Amino acid sequence: MSTETDTQTEKQSRFGGLDGYRIALYTVLGLLVLFFLTPIESGLVTSLKTATAVTNTEPYLPPLSGAEFSLENYATAFDALANGVFNSLLFAIPATVVSALFGSFAAYGLTLVDWKYQVPILVLFVAGVFIPYQAVLVPLSRLYSIIDFAALLSFVWALTPLSPEYANLVELAVTHIAYGIPICTVLFRSYYTTMSEEMMEAARLDGASVRRIYRRIVFPLSTPMFAVVLIYQFTQIWNDLLFALVIVATSSSPASPVTLDLAGLGVSMQGQDFGLRMAGAFIAALPTLLVYIAFGDEFAEGVAT
Amino acid sequence: MSQLQLDKLTKVFTDDDGSDIVAVDGVSIDIEDGEFLVLVGPSGCGKSTTLRMVAGLETVTSGDIRLGDRTITDQKAQERDIAMVFQSYALYPHMTTRENMSFGLEESTDMSTDEIYDRVEQAAELLGIAALLDRKPTELSGGQQQRVALGRAIVREPEVFLMDEPLSNLDAKLRSSMRTELQRIQEDLDTTTMYVTHDQTEAMTMGDRIAVLNDGRLQQVGTPLECYHRPANRFVGGFIGEPSMNFFEMTVEGDRLVSDRLNYPLSAETADAVAGSDRVTLGIRPEDIEIVDRPADDHAFETVVDVVEPRGNENSVYLMFGDQETEENPETFVAIVNGMSRVEAGEPVVAHVPEDAVHLFDADSGDALRNRVLDDLDETEPRV
Amino acid sequence: MKEFFERVRRATSGRSADRGAGADGSDPEESDGPAESGAAVTDGGVATGSDRGGTTGDDPGALRRAFDRIDDRLGRDFVESSPFWLPAFLLMGFFVYGAIGWNVLISLTDYRGFGTVDYSQLDFDMYVRAFQSSAVQQAAINTFVLLLGFTIVCLIFGMLLAILLDRRVRYDNSLRLIYLLPMSLSFVVTAQFWLWMYDYSNGIVNQVLGLVGLGPYNFIGNPQLVLGAVIFALVWQYSGYAMVVYLSALRAIPDEHFEAAKVDGASVVRMYWRVIVPQLRSATISAAVVIMVFALKAFDFLYSLVGGYRPPNGADILATLMVREAYQNTNWAYGSAIAVILFMMALAVIGPYLVYQYRNDAL
Repeated sequence: MSTETDTQTEKQSRFGGLDGYRIALYTVLGLLVLFFLTPIESGLVTSLKTATAVTNTEPYLPPLSGAEFSLENYATAFDALANGVFNSLLFAIPATVVSALFGSFAAYGLTLVDWKYQVPILVLFVAGVFIPYQAVLVPLSRLYSIIDFAALLSFVWALTPLSPEYANLVELAVTHIAYGIPICTVLFRSYYTTMSEEMMEAARLDGASVRRIYRRIVFPLSTPMFAVVLIYQFTQIWNDLLFALVIVATSSSPASPVTLDLAGLGVSMQGQDFGLRMAGAFIAALPTLLVYIAFGDEFAEGVAT
Repeated sequence: MSQLQLDKLTKVFTDDDGSDIVAVDGVSIDIEDGEFLVLVGPSGCGKSTTLRMVAGLETVTSGDIRLGDRTITDQKAQERDIAMVFQSYALYPHMTTRENMSFGLEESTDMSTDEIYDRVEQAAELLGIAALLDRKPTELSGGQQQRVALGRAIVREPEVFLMDEPLSNLDAKLRSSMRTELQRIQEDLDTTTMYVTHDQTEAMTMGDRIAVLNDGRLQQVGTPLECYHRPANRFVGGFIGEPSMNFFEMTVEGDRLVSDRLNYPLSAETADAVAGSDRVTLGIRPEDIEIVDRPADDHAFETVVDVVEPRGNENSVYLMFGDQETEENPETFVAIVNGMSRVEAGEPVVAHVPEDAVHLFDADSGDALRNRVLDDLDETEPRV
Repeated sequence: MKEFFERVRRATSGRSADRGAGADGSDPEESDGPAESGAAVTDGGVATGSDRGGTTGDDPGALRRAFDRIDDRLGRDFVESSPFWLPAFLLMGFFVYGAIGWNVLISLTDYRGFGTVDYSQLDFDMYVRAFQSSAVQQAAINTFVLLLGFTIVCLIFGMLLAILLDRRVRYDNSLRLIYLLPMSLSFVVTAQFWLWMYDYSNGIVNQVLGLVGLGPYNFIGNPQLVLGAVIFALVWQYSGYAMVVYLSALRAIPDEHFEAAKVDGASVVRMYWRVIVPQLRSATISAAVVIMVFALKAFDFLYSLVGGYRPPNGADILATLMVREAYQNTNWAYGSAIAVILFMMALAVIGPYLVYQYRNDAL
């Protein structure tokens, strides 16, 4: 829609005719900003307060005096979560990249080439986006008790300082890749259907094979979509608790991801130390918040597709 | 470079509801080595499907495609050594002009980088786009993109060029200059070319021969002038030529043709040609109708001028039988006269329809029963 | 200019002759049927398919012919493109559909405790038990309420947000990012925030209600309120999603529709109700399905709220019940049966949606 000032003012006057309308509109939008940011703001200020200040001051006010202010929550939370952050990065990054690649491959093979029954296969991918994961949890546990990654990867534990519990992270990565493929495929497919069919045909006539067309045409043109998918998928994998809970089981494991540690942080403190909880929440949310602040538009695009 | 043969080429699409649609129906054309063949027809006639089958982008339901001495019907597009220029140009948007033009050579040959560089360089020279080699498609105008698309095809030196309405995205002026240039390049390269268009002007001016397609069926293959002067049927007569041929539905009554408005006597020779039909369609090209002062023979008819469209060098004069005021459906037809002649709307004139110039088609089958008389078609053929 | 092409012609034909000879020498298969194997050496100089001969095995012709037959049946690029989609498909298929099938199988056993599954006796005992259990019935009702309440509120709120943002406001992009921000956070994180928001003595929600003389309420502790409180928190987190979907649908509606309605003299509210909202149908459908899926994943939120398998009284849903039965009580088969019930509920929503999309060619 046009953003030209003339049409804008004209439109304004036609819609309401008075500035009151605009004032009301911006007031509502401002209140909504307040609504969406308050829980986060309140968490942030609380995380910076001493335990007494948390109970004795207003929850939305920042610490006003040196006596109220404390970074101790962050120090404690960091000690509790640092290992979890490291573990989460360890499996989330490879799982994100691999599932995005698989998604791009699959979407290419199901969209831009020519063979029958692509649509039925695609339906299976799309349906995979929507399944409730509870329906696969027990088999997943069975599967990983049968395939012993800890034994299979014994050379890794021998060569690195990582303990055999880190096999759980391999399982988590595999799990997230497998269950991330459907959404990644759907995202890439929606992008590939907008690519020019004549261009693909031109490449074919230029003598390029299916593989070469991907390598030289489709992959380079996918860069913007890779940004979207990587960001979206990273957020999803980083934020997951269910698979972590089922596969790693306990936050006492050296390989436990940050979400599991954070959920456990409340338990060990009997749920009452809100300052610590909030500090933990911010540490756990930091990577996704940073990604969101840097690439919010890509995230929004991934979400909207 | 080789001969391209289409042998009873047929394409049947299956619709969503399971019914079959015959898009191309038994088309056979032999395209000589180095020939420029234009495939022309109204939209939806199957010409693009035919081209895409030759390219390997569409599977063939039945029939064969032969290129030189090999049958390529079932070969993949990648293996056919055919280059195609698309209507949308289909350039690779992330590559520069040079990369666009090199791509096909890199993929289909094992030429060295230097060789490819030289070849692209010289092809760009030939097309006048040498200065644009480092630009990306988005930085080029429509006409420039068109040249790059062409360049991408010619650097590969394929056995056959296929062109799918390559000029239709250009504005009128650029289109006519590209038309000439395309012909020049094709002549220079002497590569067998199949060119699809719905524009009969392009067909007439560019093709060594044209193939007219309608409803999936081949109507006629011939030189432009053959198709113009000796249309095989009523469809070709009406499709080729602008403004198109005038048609009158007539009944054969012995040695004359009769309709509500016309009574057209035939010579003995012509009467023989139509003897087998009851009803015929009389066709006459607008430029063959003469406007005269008074009837010179019994092939002249009184009409009224309806509209005059001046076009400078010539005028299109729309004539009408009968009176617009009194009759329900007056029959109009068009004549082309010299631009200097003064004719005005409403003026009664006499239209002379010379028998030499008349085409007669069977009213049911549409087949030509008799074409116009020409002294010698071969001599009127321009040597390009 | 002619020279160039003459020169190139000579160069290429010379090269292809060399290559043709080489191929003849090294691989007799190559020479006896160029048309059949698709590897034709032409006088134009481009020898295609020459990379194929000799590398595919003892009898490349046979393998190639077999591939051709598969391609004939399944489409031109089936064999060539299968390396792209097949691995992903197999991996996904095994983990999604294989696992669901396996889960159904386990739900028919009596598997519990530690040890291995005994597949020899299959029956529907677990389902009978589940349907008779008041805990399952209550969880199913709660799931249903959560699903419906959350979806409807989210859609309405999201649509209003989108309409407001579509009214040519300044900074609409920044506002969009702020409204969408909670969605980038983990359920684990937002559960912490809302636990604090809902705190009985210090929570902001109770303070705001106190301004109008209400409360304080124990939102998490009161079984009557907890589900509503959870829905409210989830709406806070996900209404941004509905907004983004609606916003892109609104922006796709041509300006003329707004203008035509204005010319017709419709009021703003009537214009939206009569002209614009009906055009948001397909956006509503796709947003609703995705939001329901989010609701099915509310497990993370409920688990984090208490830091354990047992959610607050009154907020137990099938998802939490299933995990609790399986992973806390090690009633694996029973948990699997509950999972199947949950899966069926999801299928009832997603099945029609997929059929709808398939019919509209929107996949």
